[in-house]
Amino acid sequence: MTIVVPVSLPNEFRAAVDRIAGPGGVISEPEQLRTYECDALTGWRAVPELVILPATAGDVQELVAACNRHQVPFVARGAGTGLSGGALPVAGGVVISLARLNRVLEVDLERGLAVVEPGVTNLDVTRAVAADGFFYAPDPSSQQVCTIGGNVAENSGGAHCLKYGFTVNHVLSADVVLPTGELVTLSRDDPGPDLLGVFVGSEGTLGIAVRITVRVVRAPEAVRTLLGAFATTDAAGDAVSHVIAAGILPAAIEMMDALSLEAVEAAVAAGYPEGAGAVLIVELDGPAAQVLVDSAAVERICRENGAFELRAAEDAEERARIWRGRKSAFAAMGRISPSYYVQDGVVPRTRLPDVLRRIYALGEEQGLRIASVFHAGDGNLHPLVLYDDELPGDAERAEALATAILDVCVEAGGSLTGEHGVGVDKVCSMPKLFGADDLAVMARLRASFDPDGLANPGKVLPTPRLCGEVPGPYRAHPLERAGVAERL
Amino acid sequence: MPSVSEPESVAEAAEALRSAGASAERVSIRADGTSVDGAAVLSTARLNRILEHEPGDLTAIVEAGLRLSELRAALEPHGQMLALDPPGDPTLGACLAADLSGPRRHRYGAMRDLVIGVTVVLADGTIASSGGKVVKNVAGYDLGKLFSGSRGRLGLVARLALRLHPRPAASATVVVETDDLRGAWQEIHRSQLTPSAVDVLPPDRIALLFEGSEAAVTRQVETSRGVRHRDTAVWGESAARQGDRRPVRFAWQPCLVGRPGIGLAWVDGRQPEPPWPLLAERVRAAFDPEGILV
Repeated sequence: MTIVVPVSLPNEFRAAVDRIAGPGGVISEPEQLRTYECDALTGWRAVPELVILPATAGDVQELVAACNRHQVPFVARGAGTGLSGGALPVAGGVVISLARLNRVLEVDLERGLAVVEPGVTNLDVTRAVAADGFFYAPDPSSQQVCTIGGNVAENSGGAHCLKYGFTVNHVLSADVVLPTGELVTLSRDDPGPDLLGVFVGSEGTLGIAVRITVRVVRAPEAVRTLLGAFATTDAAGDAVSHVIAAGILPAAIEMMDALSLEAVEAAVAAGYPEGAGAVLIVELDGPAAQVLVDSAAVERICRENGAFELRAAEDAEERARIWRGRKSAFAAMGRISPSYYVQDGVVPRTRLPDVLRRIYALGEEQGLRIASVFHAGDGNLHPLVLYDDELPGDAERAEALATAILDVCVEAGGSLTGEHGVGVDKVCSMPKLFGADDLAVMARLRASFDPDGLANPGKVLPTPRLCGEVPGPYRAHPLERAGVAERL
Repeated sequence: MPSVSEPESVAEAAEALRSAGASAERVSIRADGTSVDGAAVLSTARLNRILEHEPGDLTAIVEAGLRLSELRAALEPHGQMLALDPPGDPTLGACLAADLSGPRRHRYGAMRDLVIGVTVVLADGTIASSGGKVVKNVAGYDLGKLFSGSRGRLGLVARLALRLHPRPAASATVVVETDDLRGAWQEIHRSQLTPSAVDVLPPDRIALLFEGSEAAVTRQVETSRGVRHRDTAVWGESAARQGDRRPVRFAWQPCLVGRPGIGLAWVDGRQPEPPWPLLAERVRAAFDPEGILV
């Protein structure tokens, strides 16, 4: 979908932008602007009026102040790898790219932290401390290119957040330019409400982080990666439940189903066991003695739940081989389908086998194939709906199926998104999960940061213009269903 | 005598706040019924139920007036725990409203890191929820974070969904005596030891809590003997150890703690709260424009 609304920016604003960012820091040629018309959710596109590439935090503050003065909406952008359209430009507005703010400012291992600019890539944080045996824990699969600023906006997770937590658990403080143009420092230790915690994951709607302090942690003494092959996703799902129930907290538990295995084999020949209906990758890390005990237990649980083959990677090379298939899974879909739609839903872990069965049944009903590659340990599903965009109506059917999958997740007591964010993609689905009062209170919070609605408008919270006046069918919030019905 | 209301449901709490607002009465939200400056009291004493515990999912949903000790007792038979060890026996609502934590914050984080969903009631009686009951969730703003540290001034935390942890099979406390506290902390921090808590007890001791399997704890206790020291004592807590060693609780105390991302920090917990930053006051004004909550 392309939204084109011709609006010209005030001359004074344009002059201010040129002065602040300098001639090399402003993109206004239509051809160049198209590079920024979408992020990794390519189904939504909008061409911004300008793309601005400030070089310093001070420039960002001046730019946002100018946006505020002239009431120009702005969208912050990191590497553009987001999967929910969080960095989709807003027509008539500007994109503020943080790509030039890419310095690691400070590393303090005595305190276990790194101070970085928002355009630094996720992996560069780890690179800055790896020689000393430390790493930055959140590991979204785009970590080679995605930026810390984007991670903060999306509260990014990754395979290893099962044990290590999400971005929000690793950010200690952030200097934030508010949509009003004010610069504030939000810190974990501030008195009063945890505004840093609110800001992380706010998808660019509460301001722009220009300096971020993150925790870095000591690399574990031992790592052991197990690969188990099962006949069905049910059996693999049961193994996951039993691992969790046994009190084991692996660094990661990933599952791939038969169709994803087929794609992965075609693409990278990862050498996974043949004939498997599902494969589990379980990675354990920590003190060597703990890893030894836990991996023995995981192997036993896998066997008890029907694993017909078990492999263990003992060194980095074997580990990389096991992970190569998992990490190439999304891209590998090209081998078995012209197009695919990535969904991101969450269910309580014990509901995994049941929910997977319902998802596959939906696919059969619609005559579309679904491949599942996901973070099984925390119940975060990534069903990939395969379709052919050459076939008329196929893309629409795929999108409808992906939406129906979300309904299944919400009905099972889960969530609309575990790590990809709401962005513009799921904004109209928010009423599936939240009632009008929930959303109104979130809007109050947003307005206290951004009274004029200039920061990434149209994202996260549904608006009548975007989603129509009537919200989707009301469903009780999981907290509500757990107790008595008490929505007033 | 200030009036005290003890709602038994979220709906009753909303009604109590709404009617207080209608008569321009100030309200303080407290677990124990004590009033601030003569304001009416909204007590969470009777909002004290465990609404749901899903052992397989390691999650629970509780009402805000439930005491930590009550939750602990309910989880223990399942071999699970809320990984939070603040001083005393606060309610779960208080744990979030004051973002409480204890020594084991080193490993598990503070209350804000363990809350996965909340239902809150604002001063005007509006009931709102965010998050949910799954451990991974980025849909919408996180009101659980917003109400963390909010001290009852943004509204009532009525219900909380919590992330639980398995209880460790074994644990042990190592007390390192050293002439070089900072050096010893550095060595621990850079080592591959994974203590759940690090308390630095000036002038010359560091206490380390290890948790995990019996074998892993034993091994880490042995390794920590290598830390620069004059003497290392081991006080065991696990059943297997209690026969021959003095059982000691790793208790909360005002002390220096070593924390990833913080380094050495003094933790007292009884300091008066400094004024809120301007932005926090703006949020407060948006949530409680009449200034009902004190």
